[in-house]
Amino acid sequence: MTDKKKGNAFTDNPLVRAIGVQKIVVVLVLILLVLFFSAASPAFRQYATILSIMDYTYYLALLGIGVTFCLITGGVDLSIGAGMVCYGLIGGYLIVQKGMPVGVGLLFTVLCGILMGIINGILVAKGEIPPFLATLCTMMIARGMGSVATKNMSVTWPAAATAQGWVRSIFKIDIGGTKIPIGFIWVLILAILMSIVLNKTKIGRYIIAIGSNKEATRLSGVNVVKYQMAAYIISGLFTGLGGIAYATTFQALAPGAGAGIELNAIGGAIIGGTSMSGGSGSIAGTILGVFIMSVLQTGLPYIGLQANNQQIIIGLVLIVAVFFDVWKNRKLA
Amino acid sequence: MKKKLLAALLSAAMVATLLAGCGSKEAEAPVEAPAEEETEAPAEAPAEGDDAEAPAGAEGMHFEIVSKGFQHQYWQAVLKGAQDRADELGVTINFVGPATESDIADQVNMLSNAINQKPKAIGLAALDTKSVTDLLQQSLDAGIPIIGFDSGVPEAPEGSVLANCATDNYAAGEMAAEKVYEAIKDRVANATGTVRIGVLSQDATSESVVNRGLGFVDKIAELVVADGKTATVVGNQRFIDDSKCEKTDGADVEIEVLVPASVDSALSATDCQTLLNKADTIAVYGSNQHSAEGMITGNENLNKFGTGEDQVIAAGFDSGAAIKAAVADGTFLGAITQAPVAMGAALIDALVAAANGETVSDVDTGCQWYTAENMNDPEIAQNLYD
Repeated sequence: MTDKKKGNAFTDNPLVRAIGVQKIVVVLVLILLVLFFSAASPAFRQYATILSIMDYTYYLALLGIGVTFCLITGGVDLSIGAGMVCYGLIGGYLIVQKGMPVGVGLLFTVLCGILMGIINGILVAKGEIPPFLATLCTMMIARGMGSVATKNMSVTWPAAATAQGWVRSIFKIDIGGTKIPIGFIWVLILAILMSIVLNKTKIGRYIIAIGSNKEATRLSGVNVVKYQMAAYIISGLFTGLGGIAYATTFQALAPGAGAGIELNAIGGAIIGGTSMSGGSGSIAGTILGVFIMSVLQTGLPYIGLQANNQQIIIGLVLIVAVFFDVWKNRKLA
Repeated sequence: MKKKLLAALLSAAMVATLLAGCGSKEAEAPVEAPAEEETEAPAEAPAEGDDAEAPAGAEGMHFEIVSKGFQHQYWQAVLKGAQDRADELGVTINFVGPATESDIADQVNMLSNAINQKPKAIGLAALDTKSVTDLLQQSLDAGIPIIGFDSGVPEAPEGSVLANCATDNYAAGEMAAEKVYEAIKDRVANATGTVRIGVLSQDATSESVVNRGLGFVDKIAELVVADGKTATVVGNQRFIDDSKCEKTDGADVEIEVLVPASVDSALSATDCQTLLNKADTIAVYGSNQHSAEGMITGNENLNKFGTGEDQVIAAGFDSGAAIKAAVADGTFLGAITQAPVAMGAALIDALVAAANGETVSDVDTGCQWYTAENMNDPEIAQNLYD
């Protein structure tokens, strides 16, 4: 994939071409953002800031990895934000209210995600409902299910100090009072794994092919229904994993919450160069894009911006990213 | 192509509305109180005294109750109090609420539905005091009396809301301020520069949440001024405008009120970190379960809360497993709890009285300050929930 027909010294550089122009731009922006916040606020230059950024990165990155697959097929999965909270609520409910072991709760959180992925997949791939609509509907269902399943009660997963508190140290461990964001390792491993799935396996190749030209892919004998479904199931699986990250990072999960988080994850994927029109995208880009979102979310309050201004800035950043995507496609056309 | 897009968008909008309708219906289905959990908290008699002893003709009455939803266990306790009292009196209730406390439009819709049901009376805990005024006029015209609970509706048309059964939220905020000030008095007196007291407020629209914030801000300012120092309010404009505190530049104590863009745990946690990262912050107060939990998450990485010399004093509001744990282990100096079970019972009594055309007056359902020391007293423990 070349970003420009007529290149220049920068874009013709084989290293640049291998990594991708957009990713390099995103890394530069990321570095600039961190430098800017560090210069603007002494409080930003502390270890705890890294911990905070990581807290917001885990669940967004996991959602982002999953939804990247849907975006690459030319679809989208809007159910991930509400779904993430819903699955965390169900898993937590089983642990706290039904007295099940934490392991069962974790398993159910992931299973619920996979189940929703299968439903989304059936609706989109077999039912041929536009992904936007199908997953908008399942988003509403997830939002309601979380409330119904927990009898409308907020759920707090076991706290660190309690008997089953080990669950809180999946993403953050405490060594002699110093907290270490080990979740980054898990996210990194999963990202590398899914990057391989996307680029080196049949599933990934076909998912990209469907996004480029679904009809041509079907005509060449590929079972497009199966591979389109696979994309939604992957998204569901990672939403479940995101649910675990979210539930173990924050205090009470509230029924009905989570709407809007999907846009942060999708935004991260788009900033990272995944095309809204399908056919191209990368996991590495998504992770970088998600970091832009989480650094902004953590950093903006440090420069004294109140909540509503933060949303405006994040919205503007997304416009720039989408514009870049549109501009790139026009160059290619 | 454009037409196709338009058609797709229109149908998307239609489906969304349809689903939104279904969604609220789902939420409207009478919610079963999770009896297993709540039974330990005995339904306390309403603070006013039990003079509404099964009024004549109460049997068979139906009431619609529009709450703020069920996102927090607090509402389960209110529901439990209301349901128990309703069963006792032989009346039926339909207790509904929107999915989240940001869904003001959904709640307005629910109130509209409630009025259409033509019940004997309606109970209302308004999420936004301004957006329900038209409907209140409508219910006044229809002759349906409304009893406010949890939050009042100050701008209500004359005669529509007959009474409120609520914690005096302003007084509750003041109580928190007094307790916090006790703990920071010396630090304020000995400070050489400005010191900062943070307030986390879930929103700037609901009467109860705003008053808890304002009560706290005004009382702190009053106490600071009484000790010969100056205070000012910064941050959210609603609080700056409505606070009684005189605003001055370069005051000795700066009270900073932060309100997130939406009810999102991550946003409130970030707000708390913003406060904790300011070197001059000496205390933080979160005015409901959401904000207080945001404080706990925000503090996890920074670890600055506590009652020690160089630590930041933290005070919360309401309970829930995380807040109770924070109070018990000394992360929080303490927290305010309301009496939700009593509030639910008082609401039913007031609804019955209003339906019978009796005069009803406001009921203060009360609040308590709980700390690690007193949180197991039966008086207080009955109002704490997980």
